[in-house]
Amino acid sequence: MKIDYKLQDKFDLVIFLSVAILLGIGIVAIYSATYNHPTAKGNFNKQLIFTVVSILLLFLLYFLPARSFRVVALPSYIISIILLVVVLFLGKTVYGAKSWMSIGGVGFQPSEFAKIGLIFFLSHWLTDSKRDINNLKELFYTVSISFFPILLILLEPDMGTAIVYSAISLVMIFWSGINLFGLFVVLSPGIILFASLFGTIPFIVALLLIIVALLLFKQDLFISGSVFVMNLATGFIFEFILKILQPHQVKRILSFVDPTADPLGSGYNALQAKVAMGSGGLFGKGFLEGNQTQLRFIPEQWTDFIYCVIGEEFGFMGSIFLIAIFLILFLRLLNLTSLAGDRFGRITIIGILTLFFTHFSINIGMNLGITPVIGLPLPFVSYGGSSLLTNMFLVGVVLNIYKNRKHHV
Amino acid sequence: MSADYFGSALRRRIIFFIIIGMVAVQTMQLINMQLLESNKYEVKSHDNSIKSFTINAPRGIIFDRNIEILVGNKASFTILLTPSEYDRENSKILETVLGVELGYIDKILKKYKKFSKYKPRTLLSGADYRMISWIEENQQKLSGISYQVDTQRDYSFGIIGSHIFGYTKEIGREALKKKKETYSIGDNVGFIGLEKSYETLLRGEKGKEYFVANSRQKIVKRYNEGENDIPPIKGNDIITTIDYKTQKMAEELFTNIKGSVVAIEPATGEILAYVSAPQYDLSSFADVTSNLVWDSLRFDEGKPLFNRGTISMYPPGSTYKMIIAIAALEEGVISTSKKVNCNGGFYFGNRFFKCTHYHGKVDMKEAIEQSCNTYFYKLILKVGLQNFHKYSTMFGFGERTGIDISPESKGNVPSKEYYDRVYGKGKWTDGYLLNIGIGQGELVTTPIQLVQYTSLMANWGETKIPHFVKGYIDSNTNEFVSLKYDSVKINVSNNTLKIIRDAMLDVVNSKDGTARNIRMKEISISGKTGTAQNPHGEDHSIFIAFAPFDNPKIAVAAIVENVGYGSTYAAPIAQKIIKAYLGSGDKSEIEFTNSNLKEVF
Repeated sequence: MKIDYKLQDKFDLVIFLSVAILLGIGIVAIYSATYNHPTAKGNFNKQLIFTVVSILLLFLLYFLPARSFRVVALPSYIISIILLVVVLFLGKTVYGAKSWMSIGGVGFQPSEFAKIGLIFFLSHWLTDSKRDINNLKELFYTVSISFFPILLILLEPDMGTAIVYSAISLVMIFWSGINLFGLFVVLSPGIILFASLFGTIPFIVALLLIIVALLLFKQDLFISGSVFVMNLATGFIFEFILKILQPHQVKRILSFVDPTADPLGSGYNALQAKVAMGSGGLFGKGFLEGNQTQLRFIPEQWTDFIYCVIGEEFGFMGSIFLIAIFLILFLRLLNLTSLAGDRFGRITIIGILTLFFTHFSINIGMNLGITPVIGLPLPFVSYGGSSLLTNMFLVGVVLNIYKNRKHHV
Repeated sequence: MSADYFGSALRRRIIFFIIIGMVAVQTMQLINMQLLESNKYEVKSHDNSIKSFTINAPRGIIFDRNIEILVGNKASFTILLTPSEYDRENSKILETVLGVELGYIDKILKKYKKFSKYKPRTLLSGADYRMISWIEENQQKLSGISYQVDTQRDYSFGIIGSHIFGYTKEIGREALKKKKETYSIGDNVGFIGLEKSYETLLRGEKGKEYFVANSRQKIVKRYNEGENDIPPIKGNDIITTIDYKTQKMAEELFTNIKGSVVAIEPATGEILAYVSAPQYDLSSFADVTSNLVWDSLRFDEGKPLFNRGTISMYPPGSTYKMIIAIAALEEGVISTSKKVNCNGGFYFGNRFFKCTHYHGKVDMKEAIEQSCNTYFYKLILKVGLQNFHKYSTMFGFGERTGIDISPESKGNVPSKEYYDRVYGKGKWTDGYLLNIGIGQGELVTTPIQLVQYTSLMANWGETKIPHFVKGYIDSNTNEFVSLKYDSVKINVSNNTLKIIRDAMLDVVNSKDGTARNIRMKEISISGKTGTAQNPHGEDHSIFIAFAPFDNPKIAVAAIVENVGYGSTYAAPIAQKIIKAYLGSGDKSEIEFTNSNLKEVF
């Protein structure tokens, strides 16, 4: 194939083509999962429309002036926060989470679009050369920027999206040059959270470990004390969060421990997904031939369990192909961080990469039974307008950054 | 802090390895699931969506010895219930339409509770067209209710044979546990009679039909266009030893009386006819037997469920006298010409043992012919208890014959040990012997034992274990497989047997014979009358016979309960049965009805 170097110079074909292939796979899989479904037949056409609209959106963003993303960083963050607050009052509850809003008859998820605001604003904030991320006060401000949307999303409550937001924030902060102690301060609450999942004794052990770590870091007493108190507070906040979590969400987390314990209950989807994947074998059962898919063993398969449609009907070859395309996309995004012209561009790309990668890891992981069933769509592949538009918007941003890589703005 | 802090090579490398690591883990899991353990998931996926339905195999047909159908099969509808889909709201109307008592469906649901709720279970077998068309019409509303065409036993071939064929019944929990591979809950299994004894031959092999079901276990279509379906294999057809017209005759003769008759081919032990009366209607057992039917059978005074031919133990009466004579001749305690004077009885100690008549001087032959008790009172004292027991057991009394239906009684042949046990050592006298010498007292025998004993005398001391089944036609190969039965032999000289047989011929054919009323020109019948004393009521009339005398083809033992002397009641029955079997098979003779029978009596 003759590569048009002029085109490649302005437009990153690797990113665009891998995304295009994923969109194609998604459309095929959604067709298979819905084509004779009593209630979801229309989803295929809807997704086609979303795809066309999102490609237009991608090109729109591609042609925007380089500076525009910085300019909209703060406003988009503020709008995001407002939307996330509004949805808590006016939103529609879907699957136990108050995450849907409707404007003029069109439903959308603010938590999807708010990702854009978070990434832009965090990039903008971290790009400011006056800031030293290793100053605990600055770190505190930075963490607060992420904390607000995460808290609002937890109140919906939407665990999966909250995890994505946390991951985006964490990796962006990490990328911005945080030192080991700073990283420890950011991560320790997470360790405490994880430990307290397993009960009181692990929680206490984790606290003791943090005290030991604090002693080893040899920071001054005030800082060490604050960090300890913060961790202690995290433990209690977690108790509070467990209380506000919906029973189905708690069950989902617990069913990960042993999905076979309740095969028709909360572990059902995870088990059926595994059966669908595993029974696909090397070449799969063929398009529209997967009995797990066609006989609707997995509810709403066109969303979070779209990957097992591919796994069942196209087998190992199809599954590994999809993973390979994602791998190309991720590595290209990582590669672009060294090509991008400025810090803002680089850190934005890292945020976007983290967003895609987190969705990908958790989604594929739950289809394969290696992560809990946390409802996160597979980027570009799963059915869903809000998430597709957001993701394509962000790909447009990446392509724009690539196009403008030689300019310093 | 250098500017290089942003996107430092190290941080990029860490992210690179996280990405590679995650993809590697996912790839490994993919290889594991889709390549290495794929079979395991395929099985699960198959189980998920492929629903199998069991198709019951029709049971083998039961034929008579000339391949006339005795018990067949007919199509029947079985209504099925799938607990997972069933809506209990429908129970009331369904119970009304099916004509079962209220709460029946709840009871059924309870029974199947411990088994998979996704499988269709038998709700009612033997449903009629009205029920099926109602279900068809209301299919939409009746989720979880379906029906299938099944087979059930057809008894419309003119033979009742309730105690021969027996019936099937739903398998019990305990039996099911032991035979999980073969049966499942709700299956019928031979419960009694030939259906039980030959269950393994008759039951056939269940078939399977596969359907594709969706996640709610609703059938979507046939799996693989039915190519994986396994058709049921019909049970093996059984060829019995029963002779249709003889059996028919026997049943008609016993229509309104109680008792039992067994006819047998002496040389082979093949049972030609077998009736235990009163009989019962097997067709009421073809499907779910209602409690009403059960109770009426269980509490019937005639005890129709009781299989008299193998279980009832009657004193054999005078039919037993030949045993005493054989023992005496074999042991040399008497000569045939020795005459005994009969004054209408015999004093033993201070008790008078009655004879039926004043016989005067009789020898052995005359004693048998006229059934003189006095002769045998004296003879048993000479033979003694030990020899009595020896020859009784030689002829199979006191032991099960091993006939191929169960249960079977042993009967009782008193011995020294027996009397010692019952009355205490030294507390019984030879007076006890006198009673058993004429076949009364504690001596009890079953009809099947009596007929075997008759066969042994008829066929010069040799026969085979009495049985109902010659063999079967293998469903797979369509070939006849004959079943083999052990021989039964006695160690008695032909000389002795000749004397006994001649005496039995005279019973029917001499002018003083007790059964001279059944004498026929065409067929030379030999026999012996008997009367079993019955402390609970009228005596039982007994007759054993074989014919033709020179080359016996049939041996019969007939017992009619509560009617009195043997020659009057049992003997004509035996005669008609012999005629039915050996005769030309003239239709008018077979259509010998009960009203005719009364005239005969």
